[in-house]
Amino acid sequence: MARKKAKRVTPDAATTVVVMVLYITESGPNSVRAIANIEAICQEHLKDNFRLEIVDVLEYPRRALADGVVVTPSLAKVSPLPAATVVGNLSDTGEVLRALGIRG
Amino acid sequence: MQPAPSTLTPSGTTAERGFKKAILRLVKGGPERLAIEAGQIDAIIDPTSGHAILLPDAQRALIERKVGFRSLIGLAFDWYWEQDECYCFVSHRGATDEALGFTEEGVIGKALWDLSIDNLSKTDWQTLRQQLEWRVIFRDLEVRCVDRAGELRYLSISGEPIFDDLDQFKGYRGITRDITGRKHSEAVVQESNRYARTILDGLGAAIAVLDEAGVVLSVNQAWRALAIAHSGIADVAFGSNYLAGCDNAGGDEHVDGMAIAAGVRQVIAGERALFRHDHASDSPAGRRWFALSISGTSGNDAARAVVSCEDITERKRGELLLELERTVLRCLADADTATVALKSVIRAVCESQGWNCGRYFSLDPSAGVLRFDESWGIPVAAVEQFLDKSRGLVFRPGAGLAGRVCQLGQPLWVLDGTRDARVSSTALAPETGDEGAFVFPVTSEDIIIGVLAFSNPIIREPDDRTLQVVRSIGGRLGRFLQRQEAVDSLRRSESRFRALTDLTSDWYWEQNRDCRFTQIADGNPFGGAGLLGMTHWDLPGVVLADATWAEHRSNLAARWSFHDFEFATVQADGQCSYYSICGEPVYDEAGIFSGYRGTGLDITRRKCAEIALRESEGAEVNPDDPAFAAAVRVARRALAERIAHLVRTEHRPVNNGDGQPDLNGQASAISGELLRALEFDRATDLRIAEAIELIGRTK
Repeated sequence: MARKKAKRVTPDAATTVVVMVLYITESGPNSVRAIANIEAICQEHLKDNFRLEIVDVLEYPRRALADGVVVTPSLAKVSPLPAATVVGNLSDTGEVLRALGIRG
Repeated sequence: MQPAPSTLTPSGTTAERGFKKAILRLVKGGPERLAIEAGQIDAIIDPTSGHAILLPDAQRALIERKVGFRSLIGLAFDWYWEQDECYCFVSHRGATDEALGFTEEGVIGKALWDLSIDNLSKTDWQTLRQQLEWRVIFRDLEVRCVDRAGELRYLSISGEPIFDDLDQFKGYRGITRDITGRKHSEAVVQESNRYARTILDGLGAAIAVLDEAGVVLSVNQAWRALAIAHSGIADVAFGSNYLAGCDNAGGDEHVDGMAIAAGVRQVIAGERALFRHDHASDSPAGRRWFALSISGTSGNDAARAVVSCEDITERKRGELLLELERTVLRCLADADTATVALKSVIRAVCESQGWNCGRYFSLDPSAGVLRFDESWGIPVAAVEQFLDKSRGLVFRPGAGLAGRVCQLGQPLWVLDGTRDARVSSTALAPETGDEGAFVFPVTSEDIIIGVLAFSNPIIREPDDRTLQVVRSIGGRLGRFLQRQEAVDSLRRSESRFRALTDLTSDWYWEQNRDCRFTQIADGNPFGGAGLLGMTHWDLPGVVLADATWAEHRSNLAARWSFHDFEFATVQADGQCSYYSICGEPVYDEAGIFSGYRGTGLDITRRKCAEIALRESEGAEVNPDDPAFAAAVRVARRALAERIAHLVRTEHRPVNNGDGQPDLNGQASAISGELLRALEFDRATDLRIAEAIELIGRTK
């Protein structure tokens, strides 16, 4: 699987855009689940104010290592700061929201 | 090439525990460890090797996916392959490798150009390698090779470059499809198309296929040739809009263009199945005629109408020539003079052939030269001036084009007079732009009597049919002119004869086979139209002995000519008038008697003088008497008239009854009259005085 680009949204000047990278293993069951979970969370909580990049570590392992990712699936919040990482299939929505800074 | 993931396969509980321990040793962070414990992790990245280590569930899923992918590959294409940085195959997998001969073992380590592909040239390979160097994606590269069975196989190869996560080029990967069946089908279709194209190109008619908008989708060879040779409506090439060409047709083709465009639109709209239209088009080689036939087509393709354009120029020219021959015949039949015939024939030829003007030069046999005789031209000032200048032109045989035609007796033509040394400046009309000429002889019974010369800017090379027609026209016109000349000559002769008749007689008459008047000229002393149907003996007041009439009628019944048959009539005032008539029988062309014709003369004065002379014999006269002198003058004048009449009329043969002229009788008559005249001259005054006295007594 090539580098997978997720939704690119039109940035709204008045709204903060959350930039995320989801590291997955193509066809891995948890990775597939993680993709579905993050898309559901984004649609519900971020509307169009997010940018998600999905990276298959089987294709780009060095990219994962460079970003400090050791397991998949892992979701890395790049911006806004502070950065945060959630590992696993993202089934814990609360943990994901907290990591994204949407809920305290 | 990306590093393949490690596939650590745990086996048994001990192995699983060992695998787990090994995994956990790689993962330092708490959340990662918790996730692993929760079974939410698919792979761990070995920081040492950089490889992704799949956990069992992910490993199984990947294997299943690869199997599915291979299955899909089998469905979508025949082979999937990968090449290294040097474009050498590192993998080549597919369902029918053996059949093709490109087994994985056979291609691994080889580049594409190392395989037994025979349809690409050195240049083609260089181009491909250049594309690969540029790392471009190539699609549907079609190659041909021979499989193990010796059959030709066609393959379509597509590939894309591979880059690692550091954007380093790692090689190519792609697919190969066996398109042999498709190529064979295409070959069949191409062969079918070629066959259809061959047939289409073999047609004599020009064919064009139009789409819904009137754009020419395809044309045959004849159409291409037509578009090159002609301008206007016919000059619509492949890809052009035929309807626009018709709509924009100018000049003489404007009306035709509008009609054709309307017909094409009706056919395309399905309002009519077929539309036919004949039209003419001017080209540098002259006017040409075309028969258009536009038929509608059905089906799902773009074609909506087929235009068939047939060049019917030869047929049309034949029709025009035939019509020209008929017109010339009509002109000659209607003409009553040579001038009218010449003008109408020249005009007919000009209008039929589209020529500007024509001139007729008649051959003067006595002088041996051609003289301008008659002409006709279109009503253009330059042409009229040219014809005016032609009046008085004379050509000697052999001089100029007309002279050469007269000398050779064959038609001659000049397509471009400026380059033809045979043409004199008077033969053409350069000031009118006419640089072509067509000249042919006018003959009567194979004798040239004149020459017809036509001028026009463009003279087309005449074909055999045209030459045949002009010879025919020249012959018919020549015969007409000769016949007209004969008629005119006869007319002049008749005119002279009538003038002489008027001098030698007082009236002219004609009778039918019953000797009844059918014509009696004005000036006769007997009356007008009421005389028609009468005989001479029916004339009012005729006095003659029955025996004399009976003899005369007997002569008439014998169809004899008669001469100086004299009779008298009694006028209303009681005076006698004396007449002398001559007549001859008339026979028709079949030799059948149709009546008499002749002349009449009033001889009253002469008869009176004769009577007076006879009665004066023995009478006493005084020579000094003025009355005597007057009587002498009257008598001498009467005798002189009589002698003159005899001299003038004695050229007419007098039948002696045997069908031979009675020369002796004529001589006797003349000599008798002369003797009497001489006797009169020798007569004494006494005898003349006696005559005068006798006249006085009679009165």
